[in-house]
Amino acid sequence: MTLFAGSALLLWAGLVVWSVSLAQSEAEAVELVRNTTPDGAEFWVMPRKSELTYYPCAQCHKLIPPNPEVRKLFSPHPSELDHGDERIWCLTCHDIEDRNTLTNLLGESVDFDRAAEVCASCHMQRHQDWMFGGHGKRRGDWQGERVIYSCPQCHDPHTPTIKPRAPKPPPPVRKGLARPLHPEAEEYLSVWERLESDDHD
Amino acid sequence: MTNARSKRAASPASGMTRRKFIKRAGAAGSLAAAAASVPAVSAGAWGGETMQDAFGTFFQDQYKKMSPEEIEEALARIERRALRETGVRIKCENTPPIPGVVFGYAINISKCKGYRDCVYACVKENNLGRDSQMQYIRVLEMDRGTRNLEKADHYYDSEIVPQEGKYYLPVQCMQCDNPPCVKACPVEATWKEPDGIVVIDYNWCIGCRMCMSACPYWARHFNWTEPEVPAEEINPLTHYLGNRPRMRGVTEKCHFCVQRTRKGLLPACAEACPNGARIFGNLLDPDSEIRYVLENKDVFRLKEDLATEPKFWYFSD
Repeated sequence: MTLFAGSALLLWAGLVVWSVSLAQSEAEAVELVRNTTPDGAEFWVMPRKSELTYYPCAQCHKLIPPNPEVRKLFSPHPSELDHGDERIWCLTCHDIEDRNTLTNLLGESVDFDRAAEVCASCHMQRHQDWMFGGHGKRRGDWQGERVIYSCPQCHDPHTPTIKPRAPKPPPPVRKGLARPLHPEAEEYLSVWERLESDDHD
Repeated sequence: MTNARSKRAASPASGMTRRKFIKRAGAAGSLAAAAASVPAVSAGAWGGETMQDAFGTFFQDQYKKMSPEEIEEALARIERRALRETGVRIKCENTPPIPGVVFGYAINISKCKGYRDCVYACVKENNLGRDSQMQYIRVLEMDRGTRNLEKADHYYDSEIVPQEGKYYLPVQCMQCDNPPCVKACPVEATWKEPDGIVVIDYNWCIGCRMCMSACPYWARHFNWTEPEVPAEEINPLTHYLGNRPRMRGVTEKCHFCVQRTRKGLLPACAEACPNGARIFGNLLDPDSEIRYVLENKDVFRLKEDLATEPKFWYFSD
């Protein structure tokens, strides 16, 4: 009973925090996060904190004692963790001491807006590509200030694989023409392939 | 000089516009025929245009030979015509190439999942005819481990993509540095701009489709019918060499969204790709993203043996 009441309270608190953060994000302009490549070239990253529903996490966690035991968490936390083949869990990336930040493998505290630095602890090569433009997505302009999306804006860190989805419709076929056969259809085979596939010998 | 220019314009090379002109003049002549064949909207002596506009379009020179004032007039005529025909106030520009910029494109085929979001973003941005079924981008589905373009599936329509054992390769105009389409054009209606984009002067095109047969990448498309775009879907920001309203009987193709990229924006397809598979930038800027890709990834181009030198690379990682 207390458990139920507790979770209801948490949910309510979460809702309040969410609505407050929504109102804030509408009022404020997006403040980009400055970054530099190892060569010193400047680039800007889309901020992440304004997108987080329950941020600041300490709002609830200041009332809950930290529990470092590896376990499955429930709402409002993501219930699924399909990342790193069970070698990692929440506190590998989330800081147990300062709930409002992340942590990398060196144990350093990392701001949510700089989440890419956490990903870089394992995915160094991808991170380098991302910094220089070989991975990830740029926003708006091809010239001028380089603004790119941060890792968690495309990959949910808890289930980072991009999920398959339906494609947009195929190109139309001109009126009066039949849609071409599938390229592996009998008619597209070469003579010898057709002869091989026949059973006439 | 002006005399020489107008003489050239009246030569048979401007066949497309002349054909229209004669048709309209004929329609005006025989009222009965006009009532039967010309839709009510474009009825009138000059197909709804003023005589000055009709003559102006008919005697319009090739884009590169027009003086700045003549170009201004041509742009104004295009805007007036679009307003009359669709009721939409478009802006037609001729933003010049940016000095020191040559555009290049790279696609990460391990990130392309075949969603075709780019195809439809392109249709929207470039005012491609909806009923004429024009699409600049084709996404090819092929078996992993093969690259047989002849056996690629253009019409894949599975429930979800990517399918197991398949990969996806988008094909569009490669903006070749040695473009065979330009060599094939008998009237020089298509040419390579200083920023590397191969463009078409739709008014100068005679619709012979030689460029289409010269292109090894299926990049050029022909307007068999008048391209029609619903008025509320028209993109009003247009470029003379890019997405301005086209007419029936001319060829068109991808132009790296010239109306966007010459103002510093990314092409619509690059902006639409949800996977960040499309990388666009200035090949002459050593710090650009495209240069990083070309220098650090194993890139390839399609049909490289034809020496067309496409400025369009593919890579996987």
